[in-house]
Amino acid sequence: MGYVAIRGGGRAIEGSHAAVENLRTAEGESGTPLSLASIEHQLRLLTSRILSEGGLYHPRLAALALKQMQGDTLEAAFALRAYRSTKPRLLETPLQDTSKMRLIRRISSAFKEIPGGQMLGPTFDYALRLMRLDLANESPEAFRKVAGSFLQNAAVEDLPDSFPKVLDALRNEGLLPPLNTTARQAFDITREPLVFPVPRSAALATMARAETGSLLAIAYSNMRGYGDVHPTIAELRVGYLPVMLPHPVTGELTEAGEVLMTECEVVAMYEGNANDGPPVFTLGYGACFGHNEVKAISMAILDRALQKGMRDGPANPSEDPEFVLLHVDGVDSMGFASHYKMPHYVTFQSDMDRLRTTQKKNLASQTTTATRAPA
Amino acid sequence: MNSEYELPQDEAAYSFGFLDEYAKREIRRCVLKAISIPGYQTPYASREMPMGRGFGTGGLQLTLALIGPADTVKVIDQGADDSVNAVSLRKFIEQTCPSVDSTERTAEATLIQSRHRIPELPLEEAQVLVLQVPYPDALVVVEPSEARRKIMHGEGDYSRLLTKLYEDIVQFKEITISHRYPTRINGHYVIDPSPIPRYDVPQLHHSKALVLLGAGREKKIYAVPPYCNAEPLVFDDVPFRTEDFTDAKGQRRACHRCGATNSFLDEIIGDDDAQGLDKTWQCSDADFCRGQRESSRVMAAQLA
Amino acid sequence: MALPDSLSHDMQAWTASSQQHIFRQLMRAFSYPGRIETLATSGAHALTLTLAALIDRGSSLADPQNLLDDLTRQRLQTPLTVPERAHFVVADGTRPPAFTPALGSLESPEHGATIVLTVVALGVGTDCRLEGPGIAGSQSLAVTGLEPSWLEQRRSWNSAFPLGVDIILLDTIHAVALPRTTRITLKGTQSWAT
Repeated sequence: MGYVAIRGGGRAIEGSHAAVENLRTAEGESGTPLSLASIEHQLRLLTSRILSEGGLYHPRLAALALKQMQGDTLEAAFALRAYRSTKPRLLETPLQDTSKMRLIRRISSAFKEIPGGQMLGPTFDYALRLMRLDLANESPEAFRKVAGSFLQNAAVEDLPDSFPKVLDALRNEGLLPPLNTTARQAFDITREPLVFPVPRSAALATMARAETGSLLAIAYSNMRGYGDVHPTIAELRVGYLPVMLPHPVTGELTEAGEVLMTECEVVAMYEGNANDGPPVFTLGYGACFGHNEVKAISMAILDRALQKGMRDGPANPSEDPEFVLLHVDGVDSMGFASHYKMPHYVTFQSDMDRLRTTQKKNLASQTTTATRAPA
Repeated sequence: MNSEYELPQDEAAYSFGFLDEYAKREIRRCVLKAISIPGYQTPYASREMPMGRGFGTGGLQLTLALIGPADTVKVIDQGADDSVNAVSLRKFIEQTCPSVDSTERTAEATLIQSRHRIPELPLEEAQVLVLQVPYPDALVVVEPSEARRKIMHGEGDYSRLLTKLYEDIVQFKEITISHRYPTRINGHYVIDPSPIPRYDVPQLHHSKALVLLGAGREKKIYAVPPYCNAEPLVFDDVPFRTEDFTDAKGQRRACHRCGATNSFLDEIIGDDDAQGLDKTWQCSDADFCRGQRESSRVMAAQLA
Repeated sequence: MALPDSLSHDMQAWTASSQQHIFRQLMRAFSYPGRIETLATSGAHALTLTLAALIDRGSSLADPQNLLDDLTRQRLQTPLTVPERAHFVVADGTRPPAFTPALGSLESPEHGATIVLTVVALGVGTDCRLEGPGIAGSQSLAVTGLEPSWLEQRRSWNSAFPLGVDIILLDTIHAVALPRTTRITLKGTQSWAT
């Protein structure tokens, strides 16, 4: 078996691995290794972000990725995505019904009262962003005291299992187009490249695992005027979606487990009905793994913007499918940004040659008056 | 999440070559179409790999879809086997493809994966060259929209690219494109040959070996078949010029290690040479340099 | 990696190592059109070896003449469709073509079909001369059992590059590739003999 001997480059790489591990364990004697359960729970929103950007629902592995990559969200999502890429595909799920979600949070901005009620749930929206110094030296006793207290007085039997969708009320009144119930084959972005124009399912799938900040920035541009979605949130829900899979023997749909997810449905400006009926509101849809509201809202706004762009032609970047969909994937964008750190000295040699030649020509064509060559 | 849940410690075994067989077959179908439509950027799904996009995942997927136990693989970056990225890729290939040999010697390799250089030694029919590509499309410099570029490529309409080259000449008296020089394949598709220097472009023309180009992030594979025209875009009165390694006295520089005057050279600024006054030049292709030194030693021994 | 002796040649085509080996031969065939590659040395038919190496549920297949048996079709897992739309079409080269395959489009020429044609023998029979990418100068190819109308149709299908089809010719153990870029002329005034 012939292998190339390890020399300078290989030793440098090994040294870099050692340096990274050294920093991770810098606390030394007084440190305790992070437990994956702690990351998953005490940093649950960070874990949620990795779940959705990695495109693989596995909270414990997402926590591991965060631990391994020392909190770098781009690297952690990348690690999860690469892991997913090698898993065998057992089956494709049938369409899942998000009205069956077991909710922990549900709000609507479009209406004051909604069937089942508005449930604020776990959110920082109305919290004051003052530093909580009591968390600085939290004792295990204080931690456990809080842990036990929440459910002690909750009236569990008051809550229904699931809640109807706000949009159904709008549909019943004819303010939204009727739901298209013919299930079409969704575009699989992990098996086929995006060749524009792409169907809406390809856009949604791409955004569902897009990098949160990237989606937010482009959606924000639309909100501020590079676009005219003017959204109202019909419903934002966070909860556990039961995943229904066909039983391997009977074929009957059976609950195989649940995924925590966030879903946002946004109602936007009305436009003419395609079937020459009365005008209706238009809809934007956003959904992702984990608890990530900013991402779901951004995605819903961009879904609406892209649908408009695909139909009428883009009037600004947030409506342009190529611009949006090719630049929001964190794994792609981070990889390419990082690649500039690799050796480029041969190409740079080529660049220097070009410039030197051009400078020589410039100098040669000067008149007797001495001037400086362009910098 | 179930609090009793334990993470499975044993990983499912990776298949030979890391990629699953569906990914490999998709790439293989893509490769055959790419060879049949020389220079056309054939789209493919492009799996995520454990190294970053931009670090050669496209070239790597090609290598892993092609490689078998009978292969001897060489991996270079900037012409060097010891460059950090080449080391990392080669280690990955060795780990995921047990029983595949690796080598630094170009002549011994059956499969060569390279970033930014074509080996100096002309390739043989039994060899395949895989080039890593960041930007597959030569038209990206004049048109940001991929949908519009596809139409231009299909129609063979490169007028806007030629206009840009012409504008360079008017302004700078030179075509300023240094590496990634647009090259027309088989008289139709113009490709970005990857960031190889102009020096290497002539090697694509009627090569004995197949050259495959893989862009992982952009999800494209394209090919320059053997014995096929590969013509850099030029104007009648502005010839194609490769990099110039002549010194101020008009003498072609030589590699300070092996003495060759017929290879692409790296410019080295020494540790004590902050002003860059005392540069040395050496072969970028490490194996070529080694081979030159070896044959000089052999000759010297024979003459002694 | 040697295949276990216990694997019958029936199963060989479906192993990863066989598919890798066959693919490299097919890739060489496409790189050097007209050169004959010997695919099977242990009893498996070249057609099964070729399809197993290339297609699966990510592709599509037409088999209008039922050249494949049910077991092979099942193992390929490839969705079946009509020859006008399929990515891969299997056909009997001794009979004239009875369909117009997908030719691709200006923006997506790769959608032009790959036609896998079975003939009687490669390396003997009617001589033709091949030129084009992958060929230094010219290349001779002898074929027995290729209906001449295939070449006429091919010329018409491939008349508007980059649109066109790519053909793999197979006998029981050999393969030859004719990508759309290859120009084929019959030598002399020989007619085709079946």
